[in-house]
Amino acid sequence: MFQIKWIWENLKGYRGRYISALCLTVMTQVMYLINPIFISNIVDTFIYNDNALDNLTNNRRLLFFLCGGIVVLTIIKAAMQFTANMMYELSSQGLIQRIKNYLFRNVQKQDMSYYNRNSTGDLMTRLTGDLDMVRHAAAWVIKALAESLVLFTTTTVYFFVLDPLMAICLLALTPLIFIITNVFRKQVGPLYVDLRERMSNLNTKAQENIAGNRVIRAFAREEYEIEKFKETNANFAKANKTAAMSWLKFFPYIETTAQGLAVVQLVAGGIFVMNGRITMGEYVAFSGLIWTISNPMRMVGNLINDLQRFMASASKIIEVYYSRPFIVDRAEAVDRHKFIGEVEFKNVTFKFNNTVILDDVSFKINAGETVAVMGETGSGKTTLINMIPRFYDPYKGEVLVDGVNVRFLKLSQLRKSIGIAMQDVLLWSDTIDSNIAFSDIDMPEEDVKYFAGLSDAAGFIEKMEEDYKTIIGERGVGLSGGQKQRISLARALAVRPAILILDDTTSAVDFETEKIIQDNLNSLDYKCTRIIIAQRISSAKDADKIIILKNGRIHEAGTHEELLRNKDGYYYEIYNLQHGEEETEREVAV
Amino acid sequence: MARNKYNIDEQLESPFDIRHFKRALIYVAKYMKRMLISLFLSITAIVAGLTAPYITQYAIDRSIPDKNIPELLLMAFLLLLTIVVNIVLTTIRSRIITAVGQDIIADIRIDLFEHLQKLSFEYFDSRPHGKILIRVVNYVNGVSDMLSNGIVNFVLDLFNLFFIIIFMFLMHWKMALVVLAGVPFLMAVVFGIKTRQRKAWQTVSNKNSNQNAYLHEGIEGVRVTQLFVREEVNEQIFGELTEASRKAWMKAVALNNTLWPSLDIISASISAAIYIVGLLIIGPASVSFGTIVAMGGYASRFWQPIMNIANLFNTFINSISYLERIFETIDEPVTVSDKDGAAELPPIKGDIRFENVTFSYDESKVVLEDLSFSVKAGESVALVGPTGAGKTTIVNLISRFYNTVSGRVLIDDNDISEYTLKSLRSQMGIMLQDSFVFSGTVADNIRYGKLDAGEEEIVNACKTVCADEFIKEFEKGYETRINERGAALSQGQKQLISFARTLISDPKILVLDEATSSIDAKTEKLLQQGLNELLKGRTSFIIAHRLSTIRNCDKIMYVSNMGITECGTHEELLAKKGDYYRLYSAREIA
Repeated sequence: MFQIKWIWENLKGYRGRYISALCLTVMTQVMYLINPIFISNIVDTFIYNDNALDNLTNNRRLLFFLCGGIVVLTIIKAAMQFTANMMYELSSQGLIQRIKNYLFRNVQKQDMSYYNRNSTGDLMTRLTGDLDMVRHAAAWVIKALAESLVLFTTTTVYFFVLDPLMAICLLALTPLIFIITNVFRKQVGPLYVDLRERMSNLNTKAQENIAGNRVIRAFAREEYEIEKFKETNANFAKANKTAAMSWLKFFPYIETTAQGLAVVQLVAGGIFVMNGRITMGEYVAFSGLIWTISNPMRMVGNLINDLQRFMASASKIIEVYYSRPFIVDRAEAVDRHKFIGEVEFKNVTFKFNNTVILDDVSFKINAGETVAVMGETGSGKTTLINMIPRFYDPYKGEVLVDGVNVRFLKLSQLRKSIGIAMQDVLLWSDTIDSNIAFSDIDMPEEDVKYFAGLSDAAGFIEKMEEDYKTIIGERGVGLSGGQKQRISLARALAVRPAILILDDTTSAVDFETEKIIQDNLNSLDYKCTRIIIAQRISSAKDADKIIILKNGRIHEAGTHEELLRNKDGYYYEIYNLQHGEEETEREVAV
Repeated sequence: MARNKYNIDEQLESPFDIRHFKRALIYVAKYMKRMLISLFLSITAIVAGLTAPYITQYAIDRSIPDKNIPELLLMAFLLLLTIVVNIVLTTIRSRIITAVGQDIIADIRIDLFEHLQKLSFEYFDSRPHGKILIRVVNYVNGVSDMLSNGIVNFVLDLFNLFFIIIFMFLMHWKMALVVLAGVPFLMAVVFGIKTRQRKAWQTVSNKNSNQNAYLHEGIEGVRVTQLFVREEVNEQIFGELTEASRKAWMKAVALNNTLWPSLDIISASISAAIYIVGLLIIGPASVSFGTIVAMGGYASRFWQPIMNIANLFNTFINSISYLERIFETIDEPVTVSDKDGAAELPPIKGDIRFENVTFSYDESKVVLEDLSFSVKAGESVALVGPTGAGKTTIVNLISRFYNTVSGRVLIDDNDISEYTLKSLRSQMGIMLQDSFVFSGTVADNIRYGKLDAGEEEIVNACKTVCADEFIKEFEKGYETRINERGAALSQGQKQLISFARTLISDPKILVLDEATSSIDAKTEKLLQQGLNELLKGRTSFIIAHRLSTIRNCDKIMYVSNMGITECGTHEELLAKKGDYYRLYSAREIA
């Protein structure tokens, strides 16, 4: 029962309240047993008594006392029940809030490879639907289990005190219940594992459909999507039904056994009254309490059902809860706040899914230098820069920043010294200024504007209706590619990083804008090392060094002039390709 | 367009009314037959159950005092019979109703999903995706129980109540009145909390939705978070959101929890009253012992359905807050849809004409004004100009992603608004800025453009766009699985795959919106050669910033805030020395 232990672990801070709630539950359950005592007293004194009429006239006080007692006790019981319920809610909410916050934190820490394995929809399922099962278990199942257990035990004791033989007769059927529920438990467990898998599929399909809505419209594939979704939806409904039907297969047996108690009571109790073993009042007391045994018996099936469902969900959450990223701070990590921005790759090899992406790459960039990286699509450019902030660790070799292997730096300190404008721009559905000030939520408004100016974004932002307070769509939808790139660039510049990495940042902006941005980048008010991934010679040629990647290897490296000397090289080829254009351009310019 | 983000509650447009529920009943009506059968089964079960107290009463009043054991056994047998009948019927009913519940929510979900497929980009762009997702999955799941079991139980409990009242009156009408005296108190409680309860549950669904939105973005944007070392800030924001959702929940649940204890107190007071009234006011002379005990039994049986209804009421209020959101989405107006009796667009030849087209996203800001131009079949047109001038808008109007405010867009002299969207878009190939790929194999992704494409066709398309080479290098080639959003692919590779996907659909009109921006110069050159062949006979629109791409087009249109200011071939426009020339000369000269 690791799941239960895990819940207990996370109940920290609420354990006291949870236990007191359980105690209150026990007390209220005991109080359920008191009312019938009052009633049987009324019956024995005022109805089924030879002096009933005398008692009614002479002892009215007792009657009022007993009736008043019922009401007062119920009020106390109701108050206790309310308190207990609220305490369950309080602690179960505290519990899931704690788990949820922890999961969110943990999910944020995971490596990129984790996200390649787990889809958004599945993670969402775990943090919503599955977590709700945990809440249900804590707020209801455990409580109901405790309730049933207490009710059952106290009544059993009480019955034994009243009349042992009668008690034995009534309890004779209980073992049957346990056998049935145990068989049921084994059958239903896997069904719930399957059900939550279907739920996760549903989430994933819906999520992807929402995310890909533009492509779907563009290809007019709405009907196809609906067909696909119908299948997922039907599978989910089917799994739900299967799990429910499995329960209903066992339900009649459990229910018959539980309700059969009334029959046992009628026969055994009737005979006992006949031969004077018990009084009529005692018979009524038994019959008034029969539900306190039969209800727990009926409940147990339901509870097992819920528990199995909880187990299936909890184990999925626990998986996320205990996932640990591989890329973490080392205990002996160097503490460093200031970086000058020296970057070195020493024989770095990197594999992804057994495919070599980078192969023995070595180079060194001095602080303040500008390096351009060029190469064909899929040659490993983006992977290369991903190694610097340790999104991936090399398979072999080492990456050094300021002469220290990045594995020995603190992740947060390392990453704070790096600003990347990524190729696949991802903005948040938040205001534009919050997006630019992403690295520092307290960034002054002037700074936001300054950096927007540097990336030539200020112009179009200010034209928007609510300028910097305009909310953009998720991932930045609704903006053009060029606009997104410029906001993303402003966001990276705003870090004032020691190492600035621009991954094809101006591919979607027009020439004019590109020119402005390039000029601005050359006159930044802080010193930084620049690594630029570029497609155009014009973006690369002024770099201190140009690295050409091919199939994960450094194919050529050197300055513009040096590379042009190699007439068989990639750079020369590209130069010629683009040179043609520039020739024309020159003719025009003249 | 008012956009929503994670910390803005979604305001509900329509005030609460019972219509949401009535509308939900339409879904229920489809399964009316099964609902009625289960209702009938349940009523039979209840009637069988209601005879039980009579049997018990007979045994207590006659068989036991008479010490008639055979009669007692007969009574016990009859009791067992009623129990078995009750359980068998209940089980069958539960099987039916569980299936109905799942079928109903499956229907609602499909309707919701189908409607989402009709909505335009705008809907998806203007709110966090997590808020849409929670509706499709969690909210719909949340109403299943109420719409199946809830409704049947409600009707049943009403029947139950009705029968109990009749039985009570048949037994002793004065005593029956005593039992009914509790009802006004109950009403007072229910009406006292109803309004607050509804608001409270609405807040819960709002807060959950906010939390879901942030969670979704937190997962999607994790790379950016890690890069900018924003984990702690995000945790704090998420913590605030979970806190808000916890508080809302506690408030709502506190209201829910007052209902039960109140009922408990009322019902206990009533049973006390039965004895006082029965014994003191009516007097034992006119009420038999068995009657008072049986009345006590009926009183608890009377309160049981009432408590059930009270619980249903809680679920009802909760479900209504979900239904409102679901129906709100289903009611979201479709801005672009087929006209009534819209015809299929005949096979496109490719002449395109804009006639006095005016367009604005919202009333205030006109993006295109009185725009007219025409393109001949087979021509390739490049759209250039500053960001935000409306290049993307123009191509979006051709695909009818938006409707014009005034003026017409004609393809082969057919006004596109007169034809079905599907017949239009399935003849067009649109490549968007964001090259979204689906999870699935590489081949699946390409097949998205033509669902029945054979292997050879797929490979050919990939060869044309120079994607074949890198795909073959993957471990499993075309059967390599792509993760969500193609996380393991480079941006350029994704663009090539979506290019192949577009080509395989054999479009008559091709729209490339910054579609090749991330592809390296060399690959692009190769791509161009393949494309030139392909573009023959197809009209194409290209939005690009790369000169090589633009120059080869038959026609270049310069789009500025003033509309199309220049139009002609590359040479013509350069000779004009206007905007295009200026843009062109901005390119740095080697």
